[in-house]
Amino acid sequence: MKARDLIFGIAALVVAVVYYGLAAAIPPSELADPIGPQGLPKTYAVLLAALSLLLIARSARHPVSNSEPSNLEPANPEPPIPSPQSPIPRVTGMLLIGIAYILVLPWLGYFLSIAALITVTIYFQGGSLNARSVLVAVSGAALFWLLFIWLLRIQYPAGIWPSVI
Amino acid sequence: MAVGDLIQPLVSTAIVPAAFGGVAWGILGGALPGISPSITMALLLPFTYGMDSTVAVVLLASTYVGAEYGGSIPAILIGTPGTNAAAATVIDGYEMKRQGKAGEALGISLYSGFVGGLFGFLVLVLLTERLSSVALAFTPSSYFSLGMLGLSVISSLAGESLLKGLIAGVLGLMVATVGTDPVTGLNRFTFGSPELLSGIPPILVMVGLFAVSEMLVQTTAPGWEKATRESARIRFPSPAMWRRIARPQAIGSVIGAFEGMMPGAGGAISSFLAYNEARRWSRHGDEFGHGSPEGVAAPEAANNTVACTALVPMLSLGIPSSNSAAVLLGGFLMHELVPGPMLFVQHGEVVRGLYAGLLVANIAMLIIGYLIMGPCIWLVSRPKPYLMAFIYALVVSGVYAYQGSLFNVGVALGFGVVGYALRYFAVPFLPMVLGVVLGFMIESNYRRALVLSNGDLSTFVRNPISAALLATALVVLAGSLMRHSKSRAAAR
Repeated sequence: MKARDLIFGIAALVVAVVYYGLAAAIPPSELADPIGPQGLPKTYAVLLAALSLLLIARSARHPVSNSEPSNLEPANPEPPIPSPQSPIPRVTGMLLIGIAYILVLPWLGYFLSIAALITVTIYFQGGSLNARSVLVAVSGAALFWLLFIWLLRIQYPAGIWPSVI
Repeated sequence: MAVGDLIQPLVSTAIVPAAFGGVAWGILGGALPGISPSITMALLLPFTYGMDSTVAVVLLASTYVGAEYGGSIPAILIGTPGTNAAAATVIDGYEMKRQGKAGEALGISLYSGFVGGLFGFLVLVLLTERLSSVALAFTPSSYFSLGMLGLSVISSLAGESLLKGLIAGVLGLMVATVGTDPVTGLNRFTFGSPELLSGIPPILVMVGLFAVSEMLVQTTAPGWEKATRESARIRFPSPAMWRRIARPQAIGSVIGAFEGMMPGAGGAISSFLAYNEARRWSRHGDEFGHGSPEGVAAPEAANNTVACTALVPMLSLGIPSSNSAAVLLGGFLMHELVPGPMLFVQHGEVVRGLYAGLLVANIAMLIIGYLIMGPCIWLVSRPKPYLMAFIYALVVSGVYAYQGSLFNVGVALGFGVVGYALRYFAVPFLPMVLGVVLGFMIESNYRRALVLSNGDLSTFVRNPISAALLATALVVLAGSLMRHSKSRAAAR
């Protein structure tokens, strides 16, 4: 846990430095109040840097400890990730599916894009790519189409189909 | 508040169907292990955008009510809590199921949730408006101090590491600075993107942090046990059982009422506290852990009480005390309703509608909870890849529906990655959500107060309300610091 704290502290410090640079680059305004548009962002950056340095120092002081000694109940009990063997490829894969959906939606339209997303996710999550999964995906797409386009009247991209037809 | 004030919204708006629909959605979401009430609500959030504001907040609040009960279904049937708050229910609920009393355990859970929910509702109605009436005299300096009080809650929400909680809070404040500057109108951190001019909506942060990150975590998590259909015919308690579980229900309700209003306590802690106290005060204490009905009644009453009382600080002061209350706050903000002092003056009809909706939701929970058991078991027993695919489709479709923007889908996915990273580094989310939600209020009122006082910082302590709020924030912060240092010393 301490190694993770150290990495998190360094990452937060980098964010603080970059954010400070961006805040300092905000142009001054003649309408500005005593604080100005840069004021609080700069303060936040300094605060984040100070907290990050504290975390880094605390982590560096106990480099061999594996867990954080505390008997406090976690007040916001989001389960921490237990270090599975290789989560990165699976997590990246799921994100890529989402990004692919964003890219193809304007071309394929909602129905086909969401059906493709469901099919690929089922396959990626370990399901078989067979007639059943395709049927489930198409039924799911129909259900979502009915909900979002027919019932809620959301304007999704129609894709290339209107011009083709 | 008169009874007529509760009845009037029921006949004039779609509150009743919203309450029933929200409860049904909440029970289904809560029944899925790993999908917490806040995630269930976050998934629904984008859909509420085009709705009437009262109906939207009733739908979200009813989802919270339903999800708290829904979490007990897999806890009893497969020994896996659907929500964190249902973890205490596993102890005796699953044991009852192993003894062939699953139907009875589900009935006790449902009935106790109903009792707890009604008690929480009464506390909510009696306390909220009184608390908020104080705040009618608020000035910009008071609003700033209220925001600081909200931020001080981070110290209670930070869990094991106060330092990491504070870092998450500052990160949230930074996210809130993206967009047009509230005083000068200059663009900040927009990188030339027109989509960022109006800032990053809290809803995208919440959907990303709660729903998308959970999906990313589940992608590497093992599947859960399947439930059998024959194990789950609900049996409501007999009169003798009613009498037996009355005391643990009362204990759970009282603990849930207090804990729900406390920042960071939430359903999980109140459930375990209620379980412990019910065991301590029980005549059958030795049965706890071996299938005691009281061991199901107390935590279920507690976590359903929390679903109402967590709204007290959120509605009256605009301070969310739990993840779910934060998502509900996001729903309010999306409809340009600012919880806090002026909500009762400017949008009294929404508050009355919410109260009426919550009352209906608690009654609906009894009916829907009974009827929905079959679909719940069907849902819990679906193959995980199919469930994941449908949740993913729901997330991307819902986020697009919010403003018709693919850019928003990308932002939500981005915050999903942030949420995943926060989980990896064991950093709590809620401080970040608080920072995002309170950031604008803090900055705009801080600067307005200084403009009005010609840059005199003492304005924040000269105004009595502002001074009292700042003092309370300091007390909260000092109390949390002491608690943290005590527990560290004890651990050493």
